Amino acid sequence: MRDVAEIALRTLAVSGSALAIALALGIPAGLGLGRRRFPGRGLLVATVNTGMGLPPVVVGLLVALLLWRSGPLGSLGWMYTPQAMVVAQVAIALPLVVGITLAAVGGLADDWHLQVRALGASGWRAAWLLMREIRPGLLAAVIAAAGGILSEVGAVAMVGGNLEGETRVLTTGILMYTQMGRFGDALALAAVLLGLTFVLAAALTVVQQQRRRS
Amino acid sequence: MSDAAAIRVRDLVVARGHAGARGFVLRVPSLELSGGTVLAVLGHNGAGKSTLLETLAGLLTPQSGSVEARVGAPALVFQRPLLLRGSARWNVEVALWVRGESRAARRARADAALARFGVAALASQEATTLSGGEMRRVALARAFATEPSALLLDEPFDDLDATARERLVVDLRAALVDSHLAVALVTHELRHALALADRIAVLARGVLVQQGRRDDVLRRPVDPQVAGLVGMTNLLPGELVGRSPIGCWEVALAGGGRLFADAAERPPGRRIVAGVRPEHVKVDADGDDRGLVGSGRVVELLSDGALVTAWIEWERLRLRTHLLAGRGLGHELKIGDTVRIAIRPEDVHLMPAPIDTPP
Repeated sequence: MRDVAEIALRTLAVSGSALAIALALGIPAGLGLGRRRFPGRGLLVATVNTGMGLPPVVVGLLVALLLWRSGPLGSLGWMYTPQAMVVAQVAIALPLVVGITLAAVGGLADDWHLQVRALGASGWRAAWLLMREIRPGLLAAVIAAAGGILSEVGAVAMVGGNLEGETRVLTTGILMYTQMGRFGDALALAAVLLGLTFVLAAALTVVQQQRRRS
Repeated sequence: MSDAAAIRVRDLVVARGHAGARGFVLRVPSLELSGGTVLAVLGHNGAGKSTLLETLAGLLTPQSGSVEARVGAPALVFQRPLLLRGSARWNVEVALWVRGESRAARRARADAALARFGVAALASQEATTLSGGEMRRVALARAFATEPSALLLDEPFDDLDATARERLVVDLRAALVDSHLAVALVTHELRHALALADRIAVLARGVLVQQGRRDDVLRRPVDPQVAGLVGMTNLLPGELVGRSPIGCWEVALAGGGRLFADAAERPPGRRIVAGVRPEHVKVDADGDDRGLVGSGRVVELLSDGALVTAWIEWERLRLRTHLLAGRGLGHELKIGDTVRIAIRPEDVHLMPAPIDTPP
């Protein structure tokens, strides 16, 4: 039972950090990409869209190549550490956050930005108004990113290694226990994972409903 | 008047879109908006009305020339009242929020502005659930709440039903009288312009072709195109014959018939277009009437319930006239009736013929 709690906490720490990083990078990138027109934008948007459907196993492979001892970032010594898992999960979540934010900005009326400019808003106030306006889209981005990285198993197994007490998380634990035939342990971890997913969804739903009422 | 100008435009050139087929250039040599004055900007679709407003609001950068606004930014109300997600009150507050005003000040001014436009009861309602007329009132309240140097209104009565429009015109006029604001009102509908405007500016294909006091522009449009826009819809091409014994200008119309124009008119050349407003074509003239021009036949009648538009065939011309519906002639006139037509010399305005009309 201590095991389960420890694995759940690690999962929260790893996926929570990855989600925070993906949102911090992805939302401004999505707003900027949705707002500005520049050469190469089309290619960038296509890259984001491809990234949204990238198989996690491929992400795992790429991150592994990057962090391998002889790889470009090998000197960091992150391979088979929680940091490597965070990197892989950010790589999975980032395109989702950017892509959904981008779509939400694109869904605004053409003259929306003109109206906000006419009101005299610029800088952070204009960005704040924009985020306020596309709030459902941003919530969708959070849900998609959180869901994607919480339930993901392939990439974190490849770059984390599922080391007991170090990099074992809920999904890799379930995978391992199932392969070992320890279905009871696998079910315990699965229950926790389902619980986390439910709590996340419920929290976001509450936020959404509250905002609508106010 | 120059000292009171809230916005002053000099030698303005604004290019829009890319050069080429879809390119568009707005040219305004000189224009002023003064406090307490409503300027109606008239023009067909694509004449540059919205471009002018967006330039005055500082949203478009002119290629050359200047737009000087007195202290305080002008407030622009868009053709489609674009409200942000949130309550009606927040939508007014937001204009003050971007200026960094405190929550209490924002709220007080927002509520006052909403009340002024009769939508105080909707303050906490979600803006996107409001009706078109209510949205427009909230958008106007938002513009007023900022106490702008000038108010720029783009088709403020578009898409409203007749009753809602009338009520909004009345409320807007009351608000304008109180505020002593400088107002530019863009519209393609003359009636709205006339209900509010003191001055009229006319744009045609990006060029400011005429501006002046409302009644001057209505009575003396510079050319047939402006005449059509300001409701002088009887446009009769012809040639100047000379002066009549009583000193009036005599015009031989291309469609037959003769008209006399007041001596005060300055004929712009030999080939002219005589303009007559429909309300100045009298169809129940008797023998003593000044300006009796002959008899005509009613060929078309169209009533909107309040006003009857009648088309009268006279010589080879069609004159348009307005009558009150449901009473007198407006009630009795039928297609095929013969009427005696009078057009008084002071109601005939002479304009230069467009270059492309055949002699």
